[in-house]
Amino acid sequence: MFGFILRRLVSGVVLLLVISVLAYTLLYVGGGNIARRILGQSATEETVAQKTAELGLDQPIIVQYFDWLSRALTGDLGTSWFTGQPVTEGISSRLAVTLSIVIGATIITAIVSVILGVWAAVHGGWVDKVVQGISILGFAIPGFLIALGLVTFFALNLKWFKPTGYVPFAVSPTEWLASVTLPIIALSIGCIAGVTQQVRGSVVDALHRDYVRTLRSRGLSHNRVVYKHVLRNAGGPALAILAVQFVGLLGGAIIVEQIFAIPGLGQVAVIATSQGDIPMVMGLVVATAAIVVIVNLLIDLLQGWLNPKVRLA
Amino acid sequence: MFRWKRAAAVGAVLALALTGCSAGGSNDGDSASSDKLTLGLIATATTFEAQAINFANEAPYGQAVYDTLLKATPEGEVVENLATEWKYNEDSTVLTLTLRDDVTFTDDTKFDAEAAAQNILRFRDGTSPNKSLLAAVADAKAIDPTTLELTLSQSDPNLLVALTQNAGMVQSPASFENADIKTNPVGSGPYILDTKATVVGSSYEFTKNEDYWNPDSVHYDALSLKPYADPTAMLNALKGGQLNGANTASNNDLAEIEAAGYTVNPFELNWTGLILFDRAGTIEPALGDVRVRQAINYAFDTEALLEAVGQGLGTPTTQIFPTSSVGYDEELDSAYSYDPEKAKDLLAEAGYEDGLTLSMPSTSGLGTTVFTLIGQQLKDVGITVEYTDAGNNFIADILAPKYGSTYMILQQDPDWALINFAIAPTATFNPTKYQDPKVDELIETVHNGSQDESDAAVKELNAYIVDQAWFAPWYRMQSSFVTDAKTDVKTQVGNAYPYLWNFTPKS
Repeated sequence: MFGFILRRLVSGVVLLLVISVLAYTLLYVGGGNIARRILGQSATEETVAQKTAELGLDQPIIVQYFDWLSRALTGDLGTSWFTGQPVTEGISSRLAVTLSIVIGATIITAIVSVILGVWAAVHGGWVDKVVQGISILGFAIPGFLIALGLVTFFALNLKWFKPTGYVPFAVSPTEWLASVTLPIIALSIGCIAGVTQQVRGSVVDALHRDYVRTLRSRGLSHNRVVYKHVLRNAGGPALAILAVQFVGLLGGAIIVEQIFAIPGLGQVAVIATSQGDIPMVMGLVVATAAIVVIVNLLIDLLQGWLNPKVRLA
Repeated sequence: MFRWKRAAAVGAVLALALTGCSAGGSNDGDSASSDKLTLGLIATATTFEAQAINFANEAPYGQAVYDTLLKATPEGEVVENLATEWKYNEDSTVLTLTLRDDVTFTDDTKFDAEAAAQNILRFRDGTSPNKSLLAAVADAKAIDPTTLELTLSQSDPNLLVALTQNAGMVQSPASFENADIKTNPVGSGPYILDTKATVVGSSYEFTKNEDYWNPDSVHYDALSLKPYADPTAMLNALKGGQLNGANTASNNDLAEIEAAGYTVNPFELNWTGLILFDRAGTIEPALGDVRVRQAINYAFDTEALLEAVGQGLGTPTTQIFPTSSVGYDEELDSAYSYDPEKAKDLLAEAGYEDGLTLSMPSTSGLGTTVFTLIGQQLKDVGITVEYTDAGNNFIADILAPKYGSTYMILQQDPDWALINFAIAPTATFNPTKYQDPKVDELIETVHNGSQDESDAAVKELNAYIVDQAWFAPWYRMQSSFVTDAKTDVKTQVGNAYPYLWNFTPKS
């Protein structure tokens, strides 16, 4: 078990290194004149040259990368070129925001899609058809449209929520809940659609297995068969897709954060990348990759716990 | 039946959760109360370090925490602030300022001439985009605690204005070496940045400086500055009543914003049209011929472009000098009224009867239709435009310079600043360093002549570059600052964002 976790962590570190090289190269190639972008159109060419030197952008890419790497290894990810904020501080403050939306959306997705999926699979008939219809609809409507629709209806017309902004949990738990509710719903809908289908599929699959017939023939109640045995067997594939969706949600959060003006990782990623804020983008790449590695590791462990068959081959 | 009960229970829980949220949501109207001013911006604070600080759209960030040596009224008149009196020597190369003695920084150190001098020199040597505002300063010295002397390498007609902007901001010298200097400013200004409540890049929260020396200029107990990267998010924040005021990135949503109860405060700050950089014809030989440049001016139906590109909000012009300038001449605005036939004749005279091709940069940042329209209008007179998409390197590329001409939006600064920004051989927006003896002579008179001579020279310079078609301006654009029913504002001549003290609660 320990060896397994260690192996996964080592491969995770190698992955991080490779990703950081790729990201740095891409940023460098696509960067253009970053000093000019920081200073805007009123700065003279001399000022731009001075800024370029100050940021070390006049150095060869190899030098720049190793300069970044050597400092990153000591935990210093530098300072954002466009806000002056230390990157670690910028990411950690925004990570909490994004995670509260993404984890919220994942929990809602898990609950709602298990309920809907199991209901559709077990009940069948019209329930199945309605649920399937709804999930296809939820899948087909683009996330940003859902988000805009939610803002217009619930925030601007009904005035139940504020249309933009984020309130930290520490400042006011109720306002925090109000500020994350619409974003979480906006993120969840597409996700629920996908996961519901998967849950329904695996439950239908499991229901047709021989052991279900055997259990039933032994006189176990319907509920006990479904909730104890079928669900557990159907859980594996559902969990796998949920993990994929979680990583996908980190991407989906980008649009939702833009629309709701929420200071999360997605919002800063869009802005930093378009500006060429290399320290911030590199910090984000490292943080996101680390999250993905850790989430995948956790899911593997959870899978093993749920299903002894996959326990550490 | 069991399944139904379960579903109903889940539904009830969800409903409770939602109503719980709505109660939380409706109870807080804190963001737009009259004791707090909440403003929307289109730019984040690049840095709070006075030495490198930005201005224009970022002006409120600096003005919240720093005092400037001098201050500008909304009309642009220079008045006292940290400096109460100022005087030039005979040839305007030494400026002596008398400073207040009752000002304290928020770290409890005292403001004096030494602090002011250090800030002046740091700004001159720093990396602010506007550092050239102090390029003429050779030295800054504290003669005594309340007397500051600036020695200039040559006179600078724009220096006093510069000291009302970021070049005049004063930061506590004791904070120069602070590690968090970029995000935790220490000044003597009307507000203090609350770094705990601030989310960098998203919302900057300020509390009132209780010990401020000039309390009459402070109209709010708290200030919140919120930059929006996405215009839709800002529009929704306005429609939801979350902002007291905001500068809109474009005029596209004005009707919707007005419908939400906001007042539009229009002002003219920028001109838009073409810059014909290559007056010597080194990159595009055709542009070296004044007849070709004039033909380009005649080729544009500026009234139609104002409707199509600027939603009709603006005033057609041929001049890059603002109406507030002594050089502005209303009659010049009809110098190149739309005349495609005349354009063709001029091109033929210049030897381009079979047409010519110009390469220009484009960028989605300035829209897409505008570049198509330029192509069409020039095509009509025989000029083919070949575009290269410069993306977000647009400004760097045009200033490299990689092109002989380009579409652009430029600010209309006060005369001396404008000359040094767009006309002089050393100007940033004269990247080909084009020099014309007559222009040099006029600039010299503007610089060193008497007030009357200088004013006359500005007028002649403006007329000359219109005649020489250095540019092909279309119109002055309307900028729009919107305010809610509780807030009054005076827009600021020469700046994209109203100065902070121009905001007052509506009684």
